[in-house]
Amino acid sequence: MARRRAWLAALLGAAALFNLAPFLYQVGLSLAPSERIFSSPWPFMGFTLDHYRYVLEKLPMWQYAWNTLVFALGVSLGHLLLSLLAAYAFVRYRFPLQEALFALFLVSLMVPFVVTYLPSYLLVAKMGLLNTFPGLILPMLTAGYGVFLLRQHFRHFPREILEAALVDGADGFALLFRILAPASLPTLVALFLIALIGAWNQFVWPGLVANRPDMYVLTVAVQRFAGGEGGSAWGPLMAASVIATLPAFLLFLLFRRVVLETFMEGGVRA
Amino acid sequence: MRSRALGEAWRRGLEPAPYLYLAPALLFLGLFVYWPLLYNGWLSLHEWNLVSPDRRFVGLANFAALFQDPGFHRLLWQTLLYVLLALVGNFALPLLLALATLALPPRWQDLFQTLFFLPTVAAASVASLVWLYLYLPAVGPLAQLLRGLGVEAPEFLGDPAWALPAVALVANWKYLGFHYLVALAGIRALPREVLEAARVDGAEGWSLGRRVLLPLLAPTLVFLFLSTVTSALDYAFIPVDVMTQGGPFGTTSNLIYATYQEAFRFFRAGVAAAQAVLLVGIFAVFVVWQYRLLSRKDGYGPS
Repeated sequence: MARRRAWLAALLGAAALFNLAPFLYQVGLSLAPSERIFSSPWPFMGFTLDHYRYVLEKLPMWQYAWNTLVFALGVSLGHLLLSLLAAYAFVRYRFPLQEALFALFLVSLMVPFVVTYLPSYLLVAKMGLLNTFPGLILPMLTAGYGVFLLRQHFRHFPREILEAALVDGADGFALLFRILAPASLPTLVALFLIALIGAWNQFVWPGLVANRPDMYVLTVAVQRFAGGEGGSAWGPLMAASVIATLPAFLLFLLFRRVVLETFMEGGVRA
Repeated sequence: MRSRALGEAWRRGLEPAPYLYLAPALLFLGLFVYWPLLYNGWLSLHEWNLVSPDRRFVGLANFAALFQDPGFHRLLWQTLLYVLLALVGNFALPLLLALATLALPPRWQDLFQTLFFLPTVAAASVASLVWLYLYLPAVGPLAQLLRGLGVEAPEFLGDPAWALPAVALVANWKYLGFHYLVALAGIRALPREVLEAARVDGAEGWSLGRRVLLPLLAPTLVFLFLSTVTSALDYAFIPVDVMTQGGPFGTTSNLIYATYQEAFRFFRAGVAAAQAVLLVGIFAVFVVWQYRLLSRKDGYGPS
């Protein structure tokens, strides 16, 4: 039994190593002196911080990071608020069309983005919102995931507590923001983080709507750099890509327990 | 299963209240999901270049042209290939990894859970750039390692025979962790007593797996299967866009990527909309299936 376990652990370890190898190359290349790149097939080929210095001096990375932060916070906070209100409506009340309206949220999760992007783009353009934060953020505020997750979470909330609060006269916003939300804080934090990381990593929509360099988000900026002068400069390109990836990684590692648990809750829960 | 019936005090809410709480979320849903869906249907009957003021009504001509185009048939085939490869990399593999993980002590489970999930947290566009390096012909690490083993590496992204699997691998790698997590959660939620009882009754190994585990696991498997199928093309989009733009010779394109190209590269809104309508039609089958699963109340689904 112990032997079999050791084998399984070794096998999984090897799989995990393969799984993480691209990140090792990403970091290794960003630190490798230019003349040593391609010198070996292994990820670490020497150490220099030149590429980071180059990227931070040559590219307005702070501007890109700021754009990304505003975009990601706008999307995640908006998503959180919208889904909090909507999920509350589904759990607190019985009302006509309830099931149909919930179905609208569920189905929206499965509509491929490519189907909605062209009309959304035309709408945003018509409103004169290209290259603005509202144009970036508003179309990303379809809160299907949050509504689904929070409704499910709220339904498992002890009914007696809610009914007691109701008897005490707490209803409406008070019930939601003083009782339900504080008691669900870990899930709300996780939903916020999932939305934040997701928005931080968004590439396609920001690439379409924010195509003026001073409005680039990090993913788009790294991409445009790769398409231009960074295309053959792997060191600087990987340094820029590490800078773009790191915040999301750190957030995840800091909050990994609650994020993973919430992801699992959003999957199958018997 | 908790009762869905609500207490008396519970029911006396103001009538407009639920709709007011729903209004903001519904507004965005309407503007950026359902209005676009309808608008797409309308656009698919027109010919339009996105800028000219006149949109010419062409009836079903866009659809007819697609069905007669051998390029479109190839596109459908490639789309299917992406889905099949996702079933290997994002359905079968995560399940096996989850089963192996659960045989380990809890501390190890936590560790592997985090390690396998990490690529899900990385930006797909940025990760695809790293893979571009890994796949570089001749000088890239994969080519160098293979040469060390005495094998001449193909041009992974330049060879029509290799490009689609190479791109699909990146998409599968990026999202493996998420599906692995869903599989883990599903297996962990199995009623332990039933498994123990079966084991005491002498069911072991393969027969325990097939006769006890499999039926209990069916809901998780169906859910995982459906989310793999419905997300495979979305997942492949960014790797395709960053690494090959659909090339070489269109061999890494698929229905979703081609729709995007028609709209935003070739400015043929009508054709793009027609492809989008077909896409929605194909998806509808899976969406209805998945929706019924998600909204079931008998413990099959997650509610």
